[in-house]
Amino acid sequence: MKMKKLLSLALASVMVLSLAACGGGSGASSSSGSAPAADAGSSDAAGGTLQVNIWDNNQLAGIQEIADAWSAESGVAVKINVVDWDNYWTLLEAGASGGQMPDVFWMHSNTAQMYMENDLLLNLDDYIAADDAIDLNNYYEGIVNLYQSGGHQYALPKDHDTIALLYNQAIFDKYGVETPTDNWTWEDVYNAAAKISEAGAADGVYGYALNTSNNQDGWYNLIYDYGAQVITDDHKGTTIGSDAGKAGMEMVRKILTVAAPQATVAETGTDSLFQSNLVGMITQGSWMINSFYKAESHADYKWAMLPYADVNGNGACDKGERYSAYNGLGWAISANCAMPDQAYSLISYFCNEAGQKKQAELGVTMAGYKGVSEEFSNAFEGMDVSAFVRIEEEGDLFFRPYTRNTTVWEDALQQQGAFLDAWQNPSDPAVMATACDNAQKIIEEAIANE
Amino acid sequence: MGKKKGMTAAEKREAIWGWAFILPTMIGLIVLNFYPVIQTIYQSFCKTGDFGKGNVFIGLGNYTKLLADGEVWQSLWNTVKYAIIEVPFSVVIALLLAVLLNRKMKGVSVYRTIFFLPMVCAPAAVAMVWKWLYNQQFGLLNNLFHTKVAWISDPKIAWISVAVIGVWSILGYNMVLFISGLQEIPHDYYEAADIDGASEIRQFFDITVPLLSPTTFFIVQTRIIGALTVFDLMFMVMDKTNVALSKVQSVVYLFYQYSFTNGNKGLGSALVVILVIFIMILTFILQQAEKKLVYHN
Repeated sequence: MKMKKLLSLALASVMVLSLAACGGGSGASSSSGSAPAADAGSSDAAGGTLQVNIWDNNQLAGIQEIADAWSAESGVAVKINVVDWDNYWTLLEAGASGGQMPDVFWMHSNTAQMYMENDLLLNLDDYIAADDAIDLNNYYEGIVNLYQSGGHQYALPKDHDTIALLYNQAIFDKYGVETPTDNWTWEDVYNAAAKISEAGAADGVYGYALNTSNNQDGWYNLIYDYGAQVITDDHKGTTIGSDAGKAGMEMVRKILTVAAPQATVAETGTDSLFQSNLVGMITQGSWMINSFYKAESHADYKWAMLPYADVNGNGACDKGERYSAYNGLGWAISANCAMPDQAYSLISYFCNEAGQKKQAELGVTMAGYKGVSEEFSNAFEGMDVSAFVRIEEEGDLFFRPYTRNTTVWEDALQQQGAFLDAWQNPSDPAVMATACDNAQKIIEEAIANE
Repeated sequence: MGKKKGMTAAEKREAIWGWAFILPTMIGLIVLNFYPVIQTIYQSFCKTGDFGKGNVFIGLGNYTKLLADGEVWQSLWNTVKYAIIEVPFSVVIALLLAVLLNRKMKGVSVYRTIFFLPMVCAPAAVAMVWKWLYNQQFGLLNNLFHTKVAWISDPKIAWISVAVIGVWSILGYNMVLFISGLQEIPHDYYEAADIDGASEIRQFFDITVPLLSPTTFFIVQTRIIGALTVFDLMFMVMDKTNVALSKVQSVVYLFYQYSFTNGNKGLGSALVVILVIFIMILTFILQQAEKKLVYHN
């Protein structure tokens, strides 16, 4: 009898304990689930582990290599968790609300303001002042400014990115179409895409593929080429519904008439279509190079500078006619990180000159540090990626449009009631014009609600 | 022998132990279920701030906004349509399978395992596989039938395609419940019917169906609730730029969109409260119907 009692008591206490452990451990971090609950918590005492969250699996290997080098010096372990883009923000927000964020993580222009204003990120001012290895003047100004709020710096610039045109040499050769050059206009893209789509119809090959979700790496750039802005410089408005904005989207519409149908790109994805060698051209960001560099037919994949829009019709690319979106991630630290000194040491290691050089050499991404473009261009042996660097000199850059809560309007623009309607029905210019008007309203309303 | 004299020592001990045993579950329910429920109801009356801070009470503002929004009504209709496919088909097919597999035959456990397997697979993995089966250009289905059907991009059929995945996933679970229900039916009835010369079909409708009705009712009720809260299928199978999405997205999908993608917790909370009320009304109606429809010995 006594034995039974003891046993039941033991059982009950085990259950209570396991429950408590669940409560404490869940949501602590986004570790892949295989780690035991105790490890999943954010950093414990000295000698503990720094939890790092990123969203891009393509960059994991390179980031891990740099982090391992830092661990060897500092003796602090680093655990990097990759969470895909959509869930990354859901998770980070849940962690922020519950006071259980990872120690170190990427910040993005879409949400940086909200996180900074709510004091969720560690103020780095004192750390930077005391750190000889970091001088913010050495980084791209737009990215440094992005992670500032109230005069304080909340993240170190990790990288920057630009956009280029990616084409499949084999497809161009097969259908006898001239390959893209740096002097191409969007009109040339249309003509080439039309030829490929017509000749390749029997093989299921399309000249071009673009989804509504290809904004930063797609149709945003045309809006700027034609002289409009998705978000104005003060982040309080848009000119997407202006005549210039409509002219840009009219060019997009024209290309869509000879591109893969929207249902196809939504089901299969533009990247998958391209890597299946079924699409002649897409536009892509520099952060995606790795994925194409490692692809099966990578020898056929070539990069050209983003085309320009010959708005004034003089047959040459003038200032303001060739735009590329650019953006830069930031390395941020949770405001209630238990090991802020070590965490700062880690992000300083990622972002100082040596770390940025290494990141470029490993081909992770283009640096946030100025003057190491060369290293990045050389990182991809056998693939010329200089188009991403050339556009910085020969074209103009605009920062990826953002407001305080970017996702609200950014998502709405991609769906029905906005540009999805036009993508569904590219043959009708009126639908695209209406979509631009709707987009203008969506953005204005979203900003008013921020 | 006063009745209010309290418990004996033994009874007291038993009561204490009783509480001790349900305590872990109670704590779990309170912390993980009751508290969030109350929070959700409270937030549904608020314009919520970022990261759960700075909630402003706005009364029924979220509710009036939702009820005036066509998107909400469409998603409710989508959810109902999904349930209309998923519930009857998953119940009827599972019942037939259960009857077939509730006999002495070779390899019966192999069949049972095969039909139950979808239940063991992670729903996300199931949805990913179906997504590629359905793919218009490269999918197995279109390749097999030499068609070009846009299974998940055509608004007219996408909702059926998604519901088919739902039926397939839940079939095994319903079947197991039916088998356990079947085994509780005394064999004598069938023997008597045999002697009276009733055919197998007659036996099925006059013995199996009525005697199985408590199990059937249980399955129908839980499946209706399950179908009305469906989320993962739509989320995994349909890209957010899919043109059929607005004709397929369920209420919970919209809730996810509001709460987590757009960060508007208040609006999302109000939406789930509406869904819960809808389910409660439906459950109440079903409970009333139970008295008439279910055969009790």
